[in-house]
Amino acid sequence: MWGNKFNKWQRILAPYIFVAPGFIFYMMVTFIPAIVGIWLSFNQWSIISPEAEFVGLQNYISMLQDERFWSSVYNTAVYALGLIPGIVIFSLITALLLNTKIKKIVFFRALFYLPVITPIAVASVIWTWIYHPRIGIMNWLIGLFGWTRVNWLANPDTVIPALVLMGIWLSIGSRMIIYLAALQGIPRSYYEAAQIDGAGKWQTFWYLTLPLLKPTTLFIMITTTIGAFRVFAQVNIMTQGGPVDKSLVLVYYIFQRAFADLRMGYSAAMSVFLFIITVIITLINWKLLGRNISYE
Amino acid sequence: MNKKDQADKLRGEQYIGNSRKIMIYLVLSGGGILMMMPFLWMILGAFKPLREVMVFPPTFWPQEPTLANFQKVFAMIPFARYYLNTAFVTIIPTIITVITAAMAGFGFAKYKFKGAKVLFWLILATMMVPYPVTIVPLYVMAHQVGLVNTYTGLIVVGLSSAFGIFLMRQFILSLPDSLLDAARIDGCTEFRIFFSLILPLTKPALATLTLFTFTSHWNSYIWPLMIINSDHLRTLSIAIPLFNGQYEQYPNLVYAASLMSLLPILLLFIFTQRFFVEGITVSGLKE
Repeated sequence: MWGNKFNKWQRILAPYIFVAPGFIFYMMVTFIPAIVGIWLSFNQWSIISPEAEFVGLQNYISMLQDERFWSSVYNTAVYALGLIPGIVIFSLITALLLNTKIKKIVFFRALFYLPVITPIAVASVIWTWIYHPRIGIMNWLIGLFGWTRVNWLANPDTVIPALVLMGIWLSIGSRMIIYLAALQGIPRSYYEAAQIDGAGKWQTFWYLTLPLLKPTTLFIMITTTIGAFRVFAQVNIMTQGGPVDKSLVLVYYIFQRAFADLRMGYSAAMSVFLFIITVIITLINWKLLGRNISYE
Repeated sequence: MNKKDQADKLRGEQYIGNSRKIMIYLVLSGGGILMMMPFLWMILGAFKPLREVMVFPPTFWPQEPTLANFQKVFAMIPFARYYLNTAFVTIIPTIITVITAAMAGFGFAKYKFKGAKVLFWLILATMMVPYPVTIVPLYVMAHQVGLVNTYTGLIVVGLSSAFGIFLMRQFILSLPDSLLDAARIDGCTEFRIFFSLILPLTKPALATLTLFTFTSHWNSYIWPLMIINSDHLRTLSIAIPLFNGQYEQYPNLVYAASLMSLLPILLLFIFTQRFFVEGITVSGLKE
């Protein structure tokens, strides 16, 4: 009798016990802080003072009037706009080349993927030396084309392009894998049909492959944008937002306000702004991908 | 040429002519070399003496290879300590995350229970929240409970993962329910089913998840940067940029330190890259 009861209860309770640790640990570091963050954004608090002071919308109002905030949004958008075409083009080309029946695909795929698993701190340090004005390899490279040396990270005109180039290097690998999976998911029968219609290689690429890859491209563009709005480590290690705030990106500014100026509420307000941007981009994503191309 | 070959040709999968093949290899090799250049620059530089890394134009292969750089790094900073710290705050959360994610994934995949949809939707919705939104308040919370500058503070944020829960759920969904029912008829409790039936069957997914979690914790930068301010608690990701700032005039030492901190990840990747690729394809994307 007792055995039956135990059996019944362990069956009812089992799913809750299975889900609880993973769910609670995850919510503890995401959902709860997000709520605290929204609450913080309506308060003024320096973390060292005993109590937060409710200020209503004051943080949001100062944010909208803050020129450095807007320039950080602008710089981040410029960074994203540079990153998107670079990542889409290079990862697509790599995926197309790897989608041919050549040997050593696994080897090449690994080469392109390696930056994805490199610690961002180490990558940033290496790239600092690559861009070094005196001994950096980038200046050696452009020297081969007869260009003069550039102080990449200290020149207001080159600092964002330098970060974009590194950003492309960081993400080609992961996006290439997504393209590769999409390419291999296109049914053979489509190409048989194109062949019967007498389509050439380029025609097939422009009128068949590329349109079929549209949802994938869109997905990559949107995840790249969302990722670009979260850039921080490179900026913190390589440029500290300089020169003259030219690489001051949104998240760097958020952390600067929080930990250098101890303005937790103001920083939280900017975080909420970032969250709203992310939600908008994600909604666009859903809207556009709702008209997904089905292969069946 | 028959029809099938023609179609394959358009698809790009044909057995292509030699000249074309050589072209593709050349382009891929060129791209591959460009992608590898930062690594080569660092690896080769780690074996060069100071005066050689400072010359311009740079040398490619070390002219007078030396191992002294590695010794010097250990002499100048408590590098072994950073290494152990990183290993500790990587391995513990990885083990816990794999277990909690497998359990939650199983719970969501194989049970209909009250609230399942809401809980799952909450995880989905929370995944959209960017980390900067949560990390400042998380720091505030850690500060309030006294976890700033402790190992616990480093570890406690990494005990679960939404990516892991999804991965495990997807994988376990594909296992047939009849298997579970058969075990129940044999008198297995739900927990026995999980430990002796589900876990052994999900080994490939567990391997992928372990690799991803390990890598992301080993590479973790922002949280340790915020929460650690004592030297003896620093992880490699914090120590390497600081070292770079302190010894700006010794790039060869910086390369040696970077190479050593990258080595575990590099070796892990070389031997398991198939799992990484599968993990990405399953999840759509790793951020």
